[in-house]
Amino acid sequence: MNLLRIELHKILPYRTVWVILATFAILLTLFLYASSQVTVNGQQLGDTMYRLPAFWQRLTYIASYFNLLFSILIIVLITDEYSFRTLRQQVIDGLSRAELVMAKFYVILTLAAISTLFLLLLGLYFGLLYSTERSLSAIFGQIEALFYYFVQSVGYMTLAMLFAFLIKKSGLAIVGFIAYTIIVEPLIRFRLPEAIDKYMPMKVMGGLTPMPLQEVLDQITTPSEVLSPALATLLAVVYIALFWLFSYYVLRLRDL
Amino acid sequence: MTVILDSNNLSKRFGSIQAVDNLSIKVEQGSIYGILGPNGSGKTTTLGMVLDVIRPTSGSFTWFGQAITRGTKQRVGALLETPNFYPYLTARKNMEIVATIKGVSNANINPVLQIVGLEERKHTTFKGFSLGMKQRLAIASALLNNPEVLVLDEPTNGLDPEGIAEIRELILSIASEGKTIILASHLLDEVEKVCTHVAVLQGGVLRAEGPVSTILSAKDQIIISAPDTARVLEVLRQLPFVEKFQPDRDLVHLSLQDNFSSADVNKAMFDAGIVLTQLTVRRKSLEAQFLEIIKKQS
Repeated sequence: MNLLRIELHKILPYRTVWVILATFAILLTLFLYASSQVTVNGQQLGDTMYRLPAFWQRLTYIASYFNLLFSILIIVLITDEYSFRTLRQQVIDGLSRAELVMAKFYVILTLAAISTLFLLLLGLYFGLLYSTERSLSAIFGQIEALFYYFVQSVGYMTLAMLFAFLIKKSGLAIVGFIAYTIIVEPLIRFRLPEAIDKYMPMKVMGGLTPMPLQEVLDQITTPSEVLSPALATLLAVVYIALFWLFSYYVLRLRDL
Repeated sequence: MTVILDSNNLSKRFGSIQAVDNLSIKVEQGSIYGILGPNGSGKTTTLGMVLDVIRPTSGSFTWFGQAITRGTKQRVGALLETPNFYPYLTARKNMEIVATIKGVSNANINPVLQIVGLEERKHTTFKGFSLGMKQRLAIASALLNNPEVLVLDEPTNGLDPEGIAEIRELILSIASEGKTIILASHLLDEVEKVCTHVAVLQGGVLRAEGPVSTILSAKDQIIISAPDTARVLEVLRQLPFVEKFQPDRDLVHLSLQDNFSSADVNKAMFDAGIVLTQLTVRRKSLEAQFLEIIKKQS
């Protein structure tokens, strides 16, 4: 926990962190508010889409788009340490390379916890505003969506951490991360058979917050194979562990 | 004598450049050990390796007779190459981070800031510091846990003459408490003024190692002249304590064996009936000695 304390010392006075957190909070709230007012076929979207418990899944699906923002934040925090040469100083002063990675991983867990908590509040606010049924089972019926979102968020940020430790320069690391997640992996997946494709990291992570109307889509097109949430969670945790280990080996094998 | 740092054939290769080549040095407790060499001679790489931030290509080292661990790191305070801090944090905040890493109380911060003269500026952010202040903050941070060993890489870099003098006094006063200091520098006179031992590095190779008094004190040169130079040379040839001499127009340059001085030359000449018109003792400059060490072996 000392490691987290060290990280908080660095992060709390850092304006970039607050700007990114505020951007996430404001944009997500605005998006939810604005789309609740949209009228489709004479019905306000809020009335149909924001009903609990189904709203939890929709909410985490929307929030999953903001993972990129948190990933960029992680990249900035880590590449900063390269440019300030503070990774080097921390090792001189007593930390091990494993502790350097662990410290950043704690930051990732903290950020994921904060955003998940924020989703809980948003979900309760908008959900209760539009739900007609307010029993506990209705409200918390599909709350596990938040847990999947948490795992996904940790997964994205851990991959971002690996890119940051590997590339060292913030701009390049951000480009590399976006290129991999949005272009390279989908291209690879395109070439792979369904059976293997579903085990690729971004596909696994994405599967944790499935698109709300996927069932409808699947009736029109051939359904694409997806993993069960439990298996996807397990695989995501394996990937997180791998990204962690690769980050550690990058630091082990390099001069600081 | 206890050996604090012992390096054994330490080598580092960056691509095609051999930055450090089979370096074996021993730093004894209580010494002020200077690592002297021109820019690019491998000083920082050597310190980086023993401080656990640069992976040696081959070779090994021990601190206090053991492999480097968190425990040994806590007995060493170090400043490597540049002062490394978070630019957006104040001096005080930066020091709190170091204190947490080193596992010492925040109560240690003000005293060390006072030692380096930054107490008044502790609420200034690091990026607002001048180079000299940054350097002093780095020294304060190295001192924070009252370490047994202080490793300083070019500690007077970027300081004004007053700052340089202050830092040197600080180093000497810390050493007088019995602490061991390892100091890398390209400044000969800094090493000569401060250090007890010196290792001379060139191109990553150890050229000389030992007490400063033996490594950096070549013999003084004496210059004499007399109306009859030929006669002088004749006498010099017979004097047993003259190591070598070299006529140069109407002057003669000579160097003597240990424990003999210009007075002995004067006396010998007078006894031989020669009256010298000139007798000058010229201390050999440190730079000249240094170049000699480097030239002798390459």
